[in-house]
Amino acid sequence: MKGGSDYNMFGKRYHKTVSVSWIVLVFVLIMTGCMPDDKRANQTQSSAAGTGQDESSDSKAVTIIHSLPVDTLDPHLGWIALRAGVTETLLRLDDNMQVTPWLASKWEAKDPVTWVFTLRDNISFQDGTKLDAAAAKASFERGIADSKALAASLKIASIEANGQELTFTTKEPHPAFPNELVHPTASIISVAAEEAMSKEAFNQSPVGTGPFKVTAFVPGKEITLVRHDSYWDELAKLTDVTIQFNADANVRTLAYQSKQADIVYHLAPESLERIEKDEELTVQSVTSLRTHYFTYNPASTNVADLRVRQALDKLIDREAIVKEIMLGHAMPANGPFNATLPFGNKDAAQMLDQAGTLKLLESVGYTKGATGKLEKDGKPLVLKLIAFSGINPELPLIPLLLQSEAAKVGITIEIVSVEYPGEYIKNHTDWDLSTASYLTSPRGDGGSFLHSAYVPGGAYNPTNIHINNLEPILKELNKTGDVAKRHALTRHAVEVIQEAMPHSYIVHPNILVGIHQRVSNWKPGAEEFYIVTNKMDVK
Amino acid sequence: MLTQWLTRFVQLVIVLLFLSVVTFVLLKLAPGDPVLAIIRASDGALSQADQEVVRESLGLSRPLYEQYGSWLLHVVQLDWGQSLTSNREVWDILIERLPATVYLALGAIVVLIVIAFPLGVLAATYHNKAPDALSRMIALLGASVPSFWLGLILIYVFAYQLNWLPTLGSGSLRHLVLPSLTLGFVMAPEYIRLLRAGLLETFSHDYIKAARARGISEWRIMFRHAIRAALLPIVAVSGISLGALLAGSVVTESIFGWPGLGSMAIEAIRLRDYPVVQGYVMFCGVCFIAANWLSDAGTAALDPRIRMRKGRRV
Repeated sequence: MKGGSDYNMFGKRYHKTVSVSWIVLVFVLIMTGCMPDDKRANQTQSSAAGTGQDESSDSKAVTIIHSLPVDTLDPHLGWIALRAGVTETLLRLDDNMQVTPWLASKWEAKDPVTWVFTLRDNISFQDGTKLDAAAAKASFERGIADSKALAASLKIASIEANGQELTFTTKEPHPAFPNELVHPTASIISVAAEEAMSKEAFNQSPVGTGPFKVTAFVPGKEITLVRHDSYWDELAKLTDVTIQFNADANVRTLAYQSKQADIVYHLAPESLERIEKDEELTVQSVTSLRTHYFTYNPASTNVADLRVRQALDKLIDREAIVKEIMLGHAMPANGPFNATLPFGNKDAAQMLDQAGTLKLLESVGYTKGATGKLEKDGKPLVLKLIAFSGINPELPLIPLLLQSEAAKVGITIEIVSVEYPGEYIKNHTDWDLSTASYLTSPRGDGGSFLHSAYVPGGAYNPTNIHINNLEPILKELNKTGDVAKRHALTRHAVEVIQEAMPHSYIVHPNILVGIHQRVSNWKPGAEEFYIVTNKMDVK
Repeated sequence: MLTQWLTRFVQLVIVLLFLSVVTFVLLKLAPGDPVLAIIRASDGALSQADQEVVRESLGLSRPLYEQYGSWLLHVVQLDWGQSLTSNREVWDILIERLPATVYLALGAIVVLIVIAFPLGVLAATYHNKAPDALSRMIALLGASVPSFWLGLILIYVFAYQLNWLPTLGSGSLRHLVLPSLTLGFVMAPEYIRLLRAGLLETFSHDYIKAARARGISEWRIMFRHAIRAALLPIVAVSGISLGALLAGSVVTESIFGWPGLGSMAIEAIRLRDYPVVQGYVMFCGVCFIAANWLSDAGTAALDPRIRMRKGRRV
């Protein structure tokens, strides 16, 4: 009887649990079903259906997918606010990577440390406040306080605001100052708007002067933008833009093939053949400002002799890297800056030359031993190469190709894969060469990279490479403001660097961007700064 | 009751302390440097000397025990610190990402139930027959398929080939379908096997045989008697699954661009954003412990023997 009572009690409880579970399940389904359907999803679906536009005749929308998720829209801490067309800078880069006016109509250097910029008089922020020198000054002060990177690149000692005239005094002569101002983190924002809405809210929806305003931001997922109808320049052709983020190249590619996005950045090269079969989809391959290279260990006795480094340089099969590994979407490198840039090295890149390698190594004293390996004083030439283990898919493959070519001439290369080569080579000495990959001219000027990579203590010079002959050129570069002269000095610097060969430049990878045929008046730039523009349109 | 809660609270504190020490040490021992993200943002403008200044200002040059002590001191005052890359409060970042993860977890649970329960019941009912073989095959498939691969296949079929569902993103039921299917399908095999084994064991008990002898229908035996007993191990295991779901699925969230805790964690790990990673691990710890408490409570609710022993299992 007692057992029966327990049984009934247990049974009721059980049924109650089951009932509650069902209620929870139904609630979940209702909740998820009732969630507001993403407006943008509808737009992308309409795009997929080939309508190209929203149902409303004057509404034009575009969906862009980028590879780098962002957690904040803070314009001084990242690139995305400028990329999204929300903020703008005093100066910008044109298609030829030349610095041109933007929010500032003109500028001049009064002396090596004083720069005067005249701001346009017809510009308002998206909150309606006027952009004058005082507002721009407040923006720079906020940026310098919040971003150590921005502070280090601008080197500003003081700022003076007078009407539309903004005067910067730098801590030291800074001839590349205008180039530094084109960087996205030098965006001009409305500090008044930030004070009114709190920093946290502002970083979710920053207020700039650009052609688009943020309407929604979901960190790590997407930014929804709407046209800024009081934009100071030509009104944007599009009414709505959505930027989504996904770090997986395969998913981005499938999204593009499904026509759920109109512009997709960083497509997987191996997918291009499939994409190109669809007449509605196009792909643009743009040579980037990035350079993959090998850096030699200045402390290694194996590669201390210039001829050994030159011999290894001749073993890099750049053509095969471009054609086989990167499927044609790269440019062989003959210096840190790509040949399309005004300060890039126009000479042809070194071709694979095994005979040349052997000749150089023989001149150093290496001979083939009984095993076919190159030896000097009975010691075989064995090199340790530090390779990237991640992110760019081609980077782990390039060392393998070099290893294979080196084996053919009798050099043994041992590859060690690490996640952060820069950190490894800084803290270890037991290596001979290492892969590296940097943006070498993001601001349309080579000066910054030359100082970072070839001056001891530079950000990209973990082994403190020093080239005697380069020093006077860089000093001259630091005093030269004239753009043409800077380009000539940069080219000269590259020649000197090539002679010393602390690095072997491999390739400049391309940026692969999928662009649906319906998108017009838009092309991707090598600098990847200006993604959403007022000119971009849909057919 | 009070003693029980106090014991649990002490356990929670000990586990979280242990977790925080292990995470802190592992993070610092792992290669990588949060200053690298700042260097990248500067595109090389920050010299090595400037980088040292940044490291100093972030307290990264101090001895490990000092860094940990400082972090712990702030955490006990409910200050989880700021992200090194975005300067945002870690707590705000976690709370902002939580709803998406909860939605995905609920979606995955629905899929899991829809897959695991019918297959588990079918397998046990038709023991060693075709439905059992089919169920075991599906379970094996689910256990063998990596979630990233399944996710890509689902995107290929449903988003690309059929164009029924969005490839990525969140915000609607349609967005929830593919990530939920991926997560639910990969988690289901464990539950299919548990349910099948539990039901088979229950079927061998005398009270089931007696019920059958009394002519009670198989349907009634299954749903009124057998499943209830077979649910016990499932509820016990569900604590771990629920904890894992609430911690966010790194792979699934990353593939589908789902803005939950998992995708946030992977990005924070990539950037070596120590405060965010540390905060995430602590948050996961709390989720796992809470989910296990829930599972214990569920087990006690289902089994009066556990209730009568004041929650202690035998």
